[in-house]
Amino acid sequence: MTKPRVAIFDFACCEGCQLQIVNLEEEILDLIGAVDVVEWREAMSEQSHEYDIAIIEGSITRPEDEKRLQIIRSRAKLLIALGACATIGGVNKLKNNFDLKEVRQCVYGKDADMPHLNTAMTKAVDEVVQVDAYIHGCPIDRKEFGLVIRALLLGKKPPIPDYPVCVECKAKENVCRYEYGEICLGPIIRAGCGARCPSNGFRCFGCRGYVDNPNVEAAREVMDKYGLTVEDLKQKMVLFGSKQEHTL
Amino acid sequence: MSAVKFTRKQFESFVSALIQSGRPVMAPQAKNGRYAFGPLAAAEEFRLDYDVTILPPKKYLLPQTETLLTYQVGGACSSVRDAEPMILLGVHPYDMVAINQMDELFRQDQYDKHYMDRRCRTTIIALDVVTPSENVFAASMGTATVKSGYDILLTVLPDGSILADAATDKGQELLDPAESTPAAEADLKARKTVWDKNEKALNKHVLECKPSYLPKLLENAYDHPVWEEKARLCYSCGSCNQVCPTCYCFDVQDQVSWDLKTGERKRCWDGCLLENFATVAGNHNFRKDRAARYRHRLYRKGKYVPGKIGGQIACVGCGRCITACTAKIANPVEVYNRLMEDTELG
Ligand code: SF4
Ligand code: SF4
Ligand code: SF4
Ligand code: SF4
Ligand code: SF4
Repeated sequence: MTKPRVAIFDFACCEGCQLQIVNLEEEILDLIGAVDVVEWREAMSEQSHEYDIAIIEGSITRPEDEKRLQIIRSRAKLLIALGACATIGGVNKLKNNFDLKEVRQCVYGKDADMPHLNTAMTKAVDEVVQVDAYIHGCPIDRKEFGLVIRALLLGKKPPIPDYPVCVECKAKENVCRYEYGEICLGPIIRAGCGARCPSNGFRCFGCRGYVDNPNVEAAREVMDKYGLTVEDLKQKMVLFGSKQEHTL
Repeated sequence: MSAVKFTRKQFESFVSALIQSGRPVMAPQAKNGRYAFGPLAAAEEFRLDYDVTILPPKKYLLPQTETLLTYQVGGACSSVRDAEPMILLGVHPYDMVAINQMDELFRQDQYDKHYMDRRCRTTIIALDVVTPSENVFAASMGTATVKSGYDILLTVLPDGSILADAATDKGQELLDPAESTPAAEADLKARKTVWDKNEKALNKHVLECKPSYLPKLLENAYDHPVWEEKARLCYSCGSCNQVCPTCYCFDVQDQVSWDLKTGERKRCWDGCLLENFATVAGNHNFRKDRAARYRHRLYRKGKYVPGKIGGQIACVGCGRCITACTAKIANPVEVYNRLMEDTELG
C-alpha cells in the first residue's frame, strides 16, 4: 500500500498551528511513517502538485488566495482545515467588523492604496471550498491533530466533539467561571481542547468556534440571571466569533 | 462490629495511618473556594466540614475516561483490568446512596467488570454532613442519612469528637489498631441528634411529595408544558449529567496508534442532555429536541431507573446539578413540584 501524500499550505495566519505539528516531537516521526509529506513550506523546501491530502492553515483574505485555494482543492482528495483561522476565520475576522478601506488605512497608512495590499472580507476555508475535516483551535491541540489524522487514514469519521467546552471543564472538576461572576463562552463553544482555558483560571473565549447547534437565544436570556447583558457577552465573543453563522 | 470515639487528635492519627497504609486515600479537600475529592497527602488536608464536592466520588469508580481493552486492528483484543485498592474517605450519605444504586445497576444485566473490580477493591468511609451545601435537598429524597454500603460511618458529634462505626470486617480492621475509646450509649444518642438535625437541615429545596410518588407523577406528565418552558434556555451542555452521582451513561470510542495496527478502546462519560447523545448509526438522532432531552433526564431520575432498582429514586438530592447549570434551569425539585401542581394523580 502506498502511503497517502500530504501537502500543508498556509494562508493568512500566524503559523502557530503548523508550529504545533513541528512540536509533535517523537510523534512527528510516527506521522512521517504513516504519510508522505510532499510539500510543507515551514519544514521543507520541496514543492509538489501531486498530493492526496491537503492541510490548509490560515484564513482567506484576498481574491487571489481564493483562486489558489480552489486549485489546491481540485488536486486534493481530502482537504483538512487546520486551526481557528482556517476553520472559522479566527482572529482575522475581526477585520470584518470594520470598513475595509479604514482597515487598510489603519494597517498600511500612506501605502494603503497599493494594489498588492488589496484585501477582502476574511473567509474561513469552508466559505470558499468544501472542507472534509476540521482541526479546531487557536492553536490546535497536538493530541487531537494525531487523532483526526489517524481516523482519516483509517477511513473513519474524525472524533471531533459536537458538545460544549463545559463537558470537558466539568470532567476536570473546575470551579465554573460563572460562579466568580465572569462570562465564559464554554456553554456554546465546541469542546476538544480539554477546557484548556477554564482549567488554567481563564474564561473560554471561543477559539474553537460554536457547536453545531448553539443555543444562542438562551445565552442572551441567561445573561439576565447573572445581572449581565447581551452586550457584555458580545464583547467576549468578538475575538473569535465575529461574523460567524451563529453570531449573537 | 463496634463503634468507637476519636478525639480530633486521635482522628488525625487514624487518618495518617490510613495514608501510610499504602493505599491511595481519596478525600474532600479545598479547591478554589469549593471542594473536590483528591488524593490525600496529609491528614489535615481532609475537610470534615466540606459542604459538597464539585464532582461526586463516582469519578473513582467510573472514571471520566478509562481504557476497556487493547486490540489489534482486525484481530485479537485483550481486556484491561487495572483496578487498585483504594480508600474513599468522607463520602456523604447522599453520595453513598448513589454508589449503592450504581452497584445494583452495574451488577445487573451485563455485569460490568470494570466498575465492579474497582468497587470491590474500594473501602468506603462515609461521613455524616457537617455543613449543608447551598442547594442540597437530600432530606426530601430520604438520603440525609444512610444505613448501608459503607465500611465505616463517621459522625462529628456536637462536642467535636468523632464517632466511627464499623459496618464490615474491612472497616473493623482499620479501626482496630487506632487509638480510641469505645462509644458509650450517650455518644450514640448524640449521633441520633445529628441525624435528626440533618433530616431537617439538608432541605434547601422542598419536594412537595414523597419521592416514592415520582414514578406515578411522571406517568401523566409527558406532554406537560414545563419541559418546553425549561428547555428553552438549555445549552445542552450536559453539566447536569456530569456532576450527578447517579448519571452513569458513557460513550465508547476507539483510538488507533500511529502504525494503524493496534488500538485502545476507551469509554468516557456521556450525558443524555448532549445534542448527539441519542445519535445512532446513519446519523439518526432519535432525541433531537432539547425539550425531549431535558425531559429524559428527569424521567431517568424519577421513573426509568427506579424501574430497574426496586423503586429507588435515582436523584439523591445532592443539589449539584442546580449549582452546575449555568442556565439555572436544572433543579429537579422545581420541575417535580410544578408537575405536582398541575398533574392529576390518577
Ligand atoms: S489558529 Fe491561531 S495559532 Fe493557528 S494559525 Fe491561526 S492565529 Fe495562529
Ligand atoms: S467555566 Fe465555562 S466551560 Fe467551564 S463549566 Fe463554566 S461555563 Fe462551562
Ligand atoms: S477553552 Fe475555549 S478559548 Fe480556550 S482553548 Fe478551549 S475553546 Fe479555545
Ligand atoms: S439529579 Fe441533581 S440533585 Fe439529583 S442526584 Fe443528580 S445532581 Fe444531585
Ligand atoms: S446543565 Fe442546564 S443548560 Fe446544561 S444541559 Fe443541563 S439543564 Fe441544560
